[in-house]
Amino acid sequence: MKDEALNDLLYRMADDLLVLGHRNAEWTGIGPLLEEDIAFSSMAQDKIGQSLALYTLLHEAGEPDPDTLGFMRDASDFRNCIFVELPNGEYDFSLIRHFLFDTALAVRIDSLTRCSYEPLANLARKIQAELKYHALHANTFVRKLGTATGESINRLQRSIDEALPFALGIFESTPWEKEIVERSLCESETILESRWRARIDRIVATTALTLPSRDVLTPVYGGRAGQHSEHLQPLIDEMTEVYRSDPETEW
Amino acid sequence: MNSVDPRINRLLKARQPADVGPKAPLDQFGTFEVFVKARGGKPFQHEGIVHAPDAEMAFVLAKETFTRRFTCVSLFVADTRQIFVSPLTEGSQSVFDILSGPPGDPALPTEPYEVFHLYKRGKQHVHAGTVNASSPIEAMQVSRSLQESKTVYSVWVIRMADIRFTRPDEEDMWETLPEKKFRDAVEYKGGDRLKTFLRS
Repeated sequence: MKDEALNDLLYRMADDLLVLGHRNAEWTGIGPLLEEDIAFSSMAQDKIGQSLALYTLLHEAGEPDPDTLGFMRDASDFRNCIFVELPNGEYDFSLIRHFLFDTALAVRIDSLTRCSYEPLANLARKIQAELKYHALHANTFVRKLGTATGESINRLQRSIDEALPFALGIFESTPWEKEIVERSLCESETILESRWRARIDRIVATTALTLPSRDVLTPVYGGRAGQHSEHLQPLIDEMTEVYRSDPETEW
Repeated sequence: MNSVDPRINRLLKARQPADVGPKAPLDQFGTFEVFVKARGGKPFQHEGIVHAPDAEMAFVLAKETFTRRFTCVSLFVADTRQIFVSPLTEGSQSVFDILSGPPGDPALPTEPYEVFHLYKRGKQHVHAGTVNASSPIEAMQVSRSLQESKTVYSVWVIRMADIRFTRPDEEDMWETLPEKKFRDAVEYKGGDRLKTFLRS
């Protein structure tokens, strides 16, 4: 018996993490500082590891195995938000995306520590501590660059303005949300979004950056329903090229 | 052409005749020394440096530069310029035999210093303890009492106030580290797989 509501919750998170992990890993070797290249790549690896843990939960709930889920699906089957599939742009956009997404992930994982589905609650409790570092890294960079020079402040501000409508897509509602909330699998997207907003407001308030108010922003939705931008399929093609060249092979 | 990859941009620039001259001074971030505690029972040990604009960034970068594998329970960083180092001895000579100076004035205010001793040439400095002193040289001299049996070849001291420690609420950051086997090259068993392939 497929648990569609639970699957929806798991797929959304796992796909977000796999796609963003892939995007962040594209910076490996060309990051702005040696130590930062290592840190960003390491966090990308963490994200892919977390997506594997979530795909494993899906497999245990009856879905195909993680390799099949990660490498054999195409764009319309993915339920990530459009935000994470956007190309990296320059480092300021990637840093802002890292800041906005990882804060949202921390809020969601915190809610999931109280999830009524025990395996997911256990996973959430386990990764909550390692996510602290991702938030510390993002917050430190935003604080430093957001108060540094005219160039750093302008770049970060342009990236925030570009990213925010897409970031709101993290909290896109799905047809299973009512059931998810009623069964105490997770709290509502509206609640998660407002907690997320409070956290990013607190950090941005320490900088010269500004966040537009929620009512002037138009969220970019669609990703949760499999309606993606033109960027996702090329990402999937590149990410899965080696695996798909011989799916039966022993690694 | 402007590529995101700086190696491409450097390649294109290289086609122009280069100005040969001395490297510009201060074109890198300053360095911070990194100290890591691998497990509860082991002391902090010096691991290396990171380049960073300040202590907070150094802490954030050190965590992934030096504690990506195996185990870690804590780390701290200090600006290289704030670490006082003694001369180096060898063989059977203890560094304390050559640390000169009269005893400090007991009326002067003291503050805590973290002390690191070197027990073997070629190895890393290891945390020996904390002492109170009114100057770095006095801290080094006082630290003699921290090590009775082993010969000490070098002492480093750092004012506690100059160190960015791991905060208590940050200590669980490394909780899941031991299970990240995918970060350890040995786990991929590349050699074994190659042997199997070559035999087949």
